[in-house]
Amino acid sequence: MTRFVLGRLGWMLAILLTVSFVAFMMMRALPGDFAIAAAGSQSVAPEVLAAIRQELGLDRPLMSQYLAWLGHALVGDLGTSFVTRQPVRGELLDRLTVTVQLTLIAAIISMVMGVATGLAAARMRGAIDWIVRLYNGVMLAVPNYVVATLIVLLFGLYFPQISIFGYTPFLEDPLANIGSLLLPALALALAVSVTISENTRAAVLEVASQDFVMVARAKGLPPGTILRDYLVRNALTPVITATGLKVAALLGGSILVETIFAIPGMGQYLFDSINSRDYPVIQAIVLTASAIVVVVNTMIDIAYARVDARVTL
Amino acid sequence: MKAVSQESAEVTGSTAAKGSKRVTQGGVLLGIGLAMLATMLIVTIFAPFIAPFDPSATSPDSLAAASARHWLGTDSIGRDVLSRLIVGGRTTLLITITAVFIALVGGLVLGLLSGYLGGFVDDAIMRVLDVVFAFPVLLLAIAVVAALGPTVPNLILTIAIVYTPAMARVVRAPVLSVKQWDHVEAARSIGMSEFRLVLRHILPIVVSPILVATSLTLSQTIFTVTALSFLGLGPPPPDPNWGGMLSEARQFMELAPLTVIGPAAAIVFATLTFIVLANGLREVLDVGSSR
Repeated sequence: MTRFVLGRLGWMLAILLTVSFVAFMMMRALPGDFAIAAAGSQSVAPEVLAAIRQELGLDRPLMSQYLAWLGHALVGDLGTSFVTRQPVRGELLDRLTVTVQLTLIAAIISMVMGVATGLAAARMRGAIDWIVRLYNGVMLAVPNYVVATLIVLLFGLYFPQISIFGYTPFLEDPLANIGSLLLPALALALAVSVTISENTRAAVLEVASQDFVMVARAKGLPPGTILRDYLVRNALTPVITATGLKVAALLGGSILVETIFAIPGMGQYLFDSINSRDYPVIQAIVLTASAIVVVVNTMIDIAYARVDARVTL
Repeated sequence: MKAVSQESAEVTGSTAAKGSKRVTQGGVLLGIGLAMLATMLIVTIFAPFIAPFDPSATSPDSLAAASARHWLGTDSIGRDVLSRLIVGGRTTLLITITAVFIALVGGLVLGLLSGYLGGFVDDAIMRVLDVVFAFPVLLLAIAVVAALGPTVPNLILTIAIVYTPAMARVVRAPVLSVKQWDHVEAARSIGMSEFRLVLRHILPIVVSPILVATSLTLSQTIFTVTALSFLGLGPPPPDPNWGGMLSEARQFMELAPLTVIGPAAAIVFATLTFIVLANGLREVLDVGSSR
């Protein structure tokens, strides 16, 4: 077990290093002179450009630039925005808090919806199973930003008096805060809940066909007990893992949904910086978000191996 | 695994009946998927002849509702939405299909090499691919496209790279087991060349899982391509594309809902086509569920 964990952690470090290298190279691969991009305009005095080159260390070899950049990133210095001229870190942390909150609410909604529909489909079969599967099949083809756009359209057309855009900070008004995240979270959750629903259904059906469930039924245990103690308990392990993986992916998927609902999270930050060509911010966000996904995925791997002894160590 | 399923089929006679029913169900799915694909391809290929208007031509008749002249109305600068949808499919599908084709070829080569040669080559290839695989797809694509510029070749290349590892994995797994089967052993013992062996006896076995995986990847790629366009990282204007149309239209969508519903429906239709196709193929070709 220890070997397995150490192996996964080492592998995670290797991937994080590669992620950081790609994020770094992304800045250096920009077409044209990076110093001009940093200065923000073409018509800059050569002395100013030279000063910028000096300051950013562009005159040094690429590898030493990378190491210096990585060193700064490791202690939390993610560079300075081209647009605001402020350090990226402070704003990024504020934005990250919002995105994490949104992701958590979406995770809860998708868990409840997914497990409920999956269980219903697996236990009742027949028409309900058919409806759930058809819904899942179609919803799988609807990207979250399409769902988000259609929700906005619906509210705009039929409930124009309800304000659905924007965000209220938690400390200002906790209820309004959750309210402001509910619709974007729903848009994110619908697609994820479909996967959870399919996984739950498959897992419950598989467990239900096992001998120990038949024994439980034969000895006359009430169906409720069988459902709770036999089916749900055994079926949920793979479901929880799949959910974890999906939630990690939500961080990336929230880019468009946040933009659509004007939620000041990391996704909207990324969208804005792409539009203003604010490369240090793009770089910082890609680095942070990728790192979070890689770390979360590794944790899930390890947690899964702990829960399920059948995972080969 | 095979023995177990055979045994249970003999024990319960109904399983056999179920099996044949499943094939027809898969056949229906596959038929629907192929019909949807054919519709999409015909409309796309003959787009300039089918589109009733020039997709870039503006008119003073802006944000018009659906009418006999403009079936889906017009957008904020008076361009015909239907024509833009029809022509917009070209860019979206061109990027999607080309990118997935490159990923397929790359994955096929890497997966065959990796699975067939094994050992050090296998380790090296799989480790490198694992790193790419670990990246969140959309973020990686955003990083690369934002840096290199959103041109069609850049988009194709980025998306091809992002999806190659998944393809290689799908190819490698069956190759690992197939290469130990008797018919491969027999072919090798009569002195068949390695190249011919792979081509004649190993490649045919991986065709089924590859078809299913390609179809699923196509549906995911539609998502990635349209999402990038939505973020403003799609192919540059004036060529319309679905993601860009959806994003642009949001500003005035309460006034002309069709400007949003049109591209949304097109994206869902394209994604659904490939999902239905993948499920149909999986059942007809009897590929074990890969997920």
